[in-house]
Amino acid sequence: MKVARTKRRPIRSEGPWAWLAAGSVALSLLMLGGLLLLIATRGLGHFWPAMVAQVEMADGRLLAGRAVRELPLEQSAGRERLYFTANRDLDGQAWHWLPVNDIVASETPQDLIVLERRRHGEFIGRLVALGDAESVREQQAREATWERLQARLATLQELRGERERLRREVLRPLIRRLDADPSDAQARQALAEANDRVRVLQEAMRGEVALLENVDGRRLVQPLEEVLRAWRPNAMSTVEKLGIWGRGVWRFLAEGPRDGNAAGGVWPAIFGTVLMVLLMSLLVTPFGVLAAIYLNEVAHQGRLTHLVRIAVRNLAGVPSIVYGVFGLGVFVYGIGGSLDEWFFNDALPSPTFGTGGLLWASLTLALLTLPVVIVATEEGLARIPVQQREGALALGATRLETLTRVVLPMAVPAMLTGVILAIARAAGEVAPLLLVGVAKLAPQVPVDGEFPFLHLERKFMHLGYHIYDTAFHGNDVQAAMPLVYATALLLVLVVLVLNLTAIFLRHYFRARHGVQPRP
Amino acid sequence: MIVAVLAIGVFLVLEVLPALLGGVFDPARIRLELTPMAWGTLKAALWAMLFAIPLALGAAIHSALFMSQRLRSRMKPTLEMMEALPGVVIGFVAGLVLAPWVERHLAGSLALLLVLPLGVLLAAAIWRRLPAVWRRHFSLSRAGLWLVPWLMLLVFATFSLAPGLEALLFDGSLRNWLDRELGLDYATRNAMIVGLAMGFAVMPSVYALAEDALSGVPSRLGEGAQALGATRWQTLWRVVLPAAAPGIFAAMMIGTGRAVGETMIVLMASGNTALMSLSPFEGMRTMAAGIAVELPEAVPGSEAYLLLILAALLLFLFTFLVNTLAEVVRSRLRRRYRWLDGAP
Amino acid sequence: MVFLREALGQARLRVAGLAALLALVSLTVQADEPVGTLGIVGSDTMAGLMLRWGEQLGERHPGIRLQLQTSGSSSAPPALVAGTTRLGPMSRPMSEEERRAFEQRHGYAPVEVEVARDALAIIVHRHHALEALRLEQVDAIFSRTRHCGAENALARWEQLAGAGLTGRIELHGRNPASGSYELFRQRALCGGDYLSRLNEHPGSAAIVAAVTESREAIGYAGLNHLNPGVKPLALEDAEGNRVLPGAEQVRQGAYPLSRALFLYANLPPGQVLSGPERALLELILSPEGQRTVGELGFVALAEADLAFQRERLGLDVSPP
Repeated sequence: MKVARTKRRPIRSEGPWAWLAAGSVALSLLMLGGLLLLIATRGLGHFWPAMVAQVEMADGRLLAGRAVRELPLEQSAGRERLYFTANRDLDGQAWHWLPVNDIVASETPQDLIVLERRRHGEFIGRLVALGDAESVREQQAREATWERLQARLATLQELRGERERLRREVLRPLIRRLDADPSDAQARQALAEANDRVRVLQEAMRGEVALLENVDGRRLVQPLEEVLRAWRPNAMSTVEKLGIWGRGVWRFLAEGPRDGNAAGGVWPAIFGTVLMVLLMSLLVTPFGVLAAIYLNEVAHQGRLTHLVRIAVRNLAGVPSIVYGVFGLGVFVYGIGGSLDEWFFNDALPSPTFGTGGLLWASLTLALLTLPVVIVATEEGLARIPVQQREGALALGATRLETLTRVVLPMAVPAMLTGVILAIARAAGEVAPLLLVGVAKLAPQVPVDGEFPFLHLERKFMHLGYHIYDTAFHGNDVQAAMPLVYATALLLVLVVLVLNLTAIFLRHYFRARHGVQPRP
Repeated sequence: MIVAVLAIGVFLVLEVLPALLGGVFDPARIRLELTPMAWGTLKAALWAMLFAIPLALGAAIHSALFMSQRLRSRMKPTLEMMEALPGVVIGFVAGLVLAPWVERHLAGSLALLLVLPLGVLLAAAIWRRLPAVWRRHFSLSRAGLWLVPWLMLLVFATFSLAPGLEALLFDGSLRNWLDRELGLDYATRNAMIVGLAMGFAVMPSVYALAEDALSGVPSRLGEGAQALGATRWQTLWRVVLPAAAPGIFAAMMIGTGRAVGETMIVLMASGNTALMSLSPFEGMRTMAAGIAVELPEAVPGSEAYLLLILAALLLFLFTFLVNTLAEVVRSRLRRRYRWLDGAP
Repeated sequence: MVFLREALGQARLRVAGLAALLALVSLTVQADEPVGTLGIVGSDTMAGLMLRWGEQLGERHPGIRLQLQTSGSSSAPPALVAGTTRLGPMSRPMSEEERRAFEQRHGYAPVEVEVARDALAIIVHRHHALEALRLEQVDAIFSRTRHCGAENALARWEQLAGAGLTGRIELHGRNPASGSYELFRQRALCGGDYLSRLNEHPGSAAIVAAVTESREAIGYAGLNHLNPGVKPLALEDAEGNRVLPGAEQVRQGAYPLSRALFLYANLPPGQVLSGPERALLELILSPEGQRTVGELGFVALAEADLAFQRERLGLDVSPP
């Protein structure tokens, strides 16, 4: 309607303010786009096997590494560049700031390899030989050795998986049996056998070493057992790199953190976030929906309901950290402390429920998101045309029947919208969790084979907190930055997808009933 | 529901009241610890709102009055998406990426404050000289979109030119110049950064509420004014805005409430310095951030614990007042619209 | 057990060389293999360290499982007193009160095992010209009380000879709840109070990140957080001797801002450690365990200290 009018009318000056208003829309979009682009490129770029440069300095030093960032030097003209040179065990550090002006030559030799290791982080250099620790000395044929290394690493990977499975499926249950009854001779015997199996596997993994050489010729004997992966970024085609990239992304999603959260993946954090949010939605949905139905359908629409509505909106505006304080004071110290006194007296003073944990975090967030669900459901109920209800009543349905057969089915999408919005809100909320139960590193996920399988009192990891923790508490903040970006991207994606779903549902609902917004 | 609201308030009061009455608190300690936090909270909110209000109102006005219906239905969810961005992500980017970057490009960043509005006006001036076909193509109703590349160009140009200008005008370093000539200390983590980041976080909710208020004004009012020959801007300024003013006020109130309670952004980007200044170049400590960092370590019942609970109570009361006020104003407004629209 | 043999069989098929190895390893059952779950409650600074030791322990003795609860050093003493855990890692020594509570409950003192060392380094930007500071200068920069004896406050870099820089000094430190805040306050500020200008970061990594980016900044952080973006300053004593926070200086105790990391054990006099506990301590005090300490950025103990502690605990003097 407005477009048509704009076109017909002669164009007249709208004055500078109208343009500034348009400019503020553009600026908001620009900032939003810039932020998303920054997170996406840095987060996804981390997994790309970047080229490794061999750099020769003016003083004759040779270094190999990936250029990470460049800054202008303040004192003198010129710039300096930060290289990730890995080899923490040889150099004592994995980073070098080099003045760009002092770099004499920079090339990308094809034979440079990158190893991802379980200790000391990555290695960048050349592969000299493969064999057992005593015999490796001589340079072996490059290509053949490289292929042997890859084959050997694949085998090791399988052995490692095997050992993990043994641990999880055989050893742990046996240990639990023995913990419960130390005199169980049968279990002890089985355990000893399983132990030996694990040892055999371990022996099979040990023994072989790789002789490595960094670019300035220093050599290093690297037990293969500690090497996770190897690649030659300078010799790879784009397709191969894409393959490595894809696997990198997958490992990020599927593995647990290593090196004090500075490497590895975020699987426990994803798991913790999802579990907490699921629990929360289980708690919040019935309460929120019932409250909304009561407010909109049952209660007399008078002063009191008006007050209640104001209170609900108010609840939505209370800062999340205040909910956290409430959760800490009432749930953790209040209810949790009492639970401990009644049921876990033998464990006191070490708290069971009297400390932050999964249950309390879910409860706190459920309280936090309650208004979201109520408001969305109520809005959905209010949009249902009054003719539908009157029609049902006219056909002889009771009020209860009208409610359950006509009104509620029509309001389901609105409830879903509310719950999804609540989940999106809860997934991104970190402040209250600082108080009621996240952990930097929870080696045990809250779900396992141990009775009662779901451990509500345990601490858990959370994506949002993982960002905060890795960026602020990690050991090597420089190394952790790309992972923080990647985690941030993941969190933003989760929240955005949830929100989009909610928007879509709302849209669909409006279109289906063809109702105009309530004035 | 009332029970839940009351429960939070009652719990906080119950925890704090005995201590307040029993004289556990040392007034000197309250002054030393709570005052800078309260000050910092308000300062952070002030700078955030200084940034968010013009942006949010501008965007709301543009999308409510100038955009086509179709574009608007796309634009609103996009900006609402901004609201969904987790605070921890914004805080991380602001504290560890934006703050050092702005410190290195201080002159350019400050120049943007001037360049961007002027650049938009320049675009408007150019637009008037364009042939009509072009003008229709780049219409004002779509300006929110086609100005984006223009702004990008301006940002890029500013940062390429800034070092030269800085050398010419401020002896090569604006930061040193500020320090020498004006005695202003520039801290890396400062109110400007927090204001920018938190303004970014708060802006969408202010926008959404203000937009609702503006587009809710009965269309007959605006159409009448335009029929009498007013430009759209005049219509807005004289007719629509006064009608929607309470709603916009409510939007600002709710925005302030959110800015006061936002935790992660301040925690990660403010530096947590217990200073009492208004300078945009110095940091601050807010109550929310203080609670988040210190409360898990505080022993329940100790003075430090109670002090933090008291801070939470203050936060709760403040947001409660602000939100109630906004809600009352909004429900008045709804009634007024119905009345203007001729409803009984 | 069946799937196990199958799996092993598969592995054997895959690796030709493995068959020979399998034949070599005897499958005799060891009766004294330590088995059990070790519950550990304590410091979060040492969480990474304990976790890595746990991994290594799992490789040595697959039957041992570590259950970690790391919520801070202060959580260890109550758990030890109550007997819910027998091992408590702490990044500071037990206070008198905590010790007394333990003795009251159990009737004997807890066994204190020093497992590693750590230090706080004072850091500046990597291009900063400054090399060393005296402790009273550090105090004059960070505190408003100046208990260490400095005459005047140091607020600007030009007040310091050798800084080669002008501008206000930007201070970065930790939040009051952390152990580093308290350690720095006691040792570097002589128990005084920090200036209110101090940026109180919730984590050491944030301090390092801030100092990496700003030339006017100075801060302090644990050794394990340092990277080449920042430069650790040496501390100068009254005679002008400079001590850098290097591994050797921290190990010998020459660097003033160093601290020890402890593991407290509840061991009644005359009794020996249980199998899993013994295995853990053997690992920690072995060269392998101490290598882990170094890898994670802490400082390993001197050989003499290790030998002394091994002997005191009745462990093998020369572990495998």
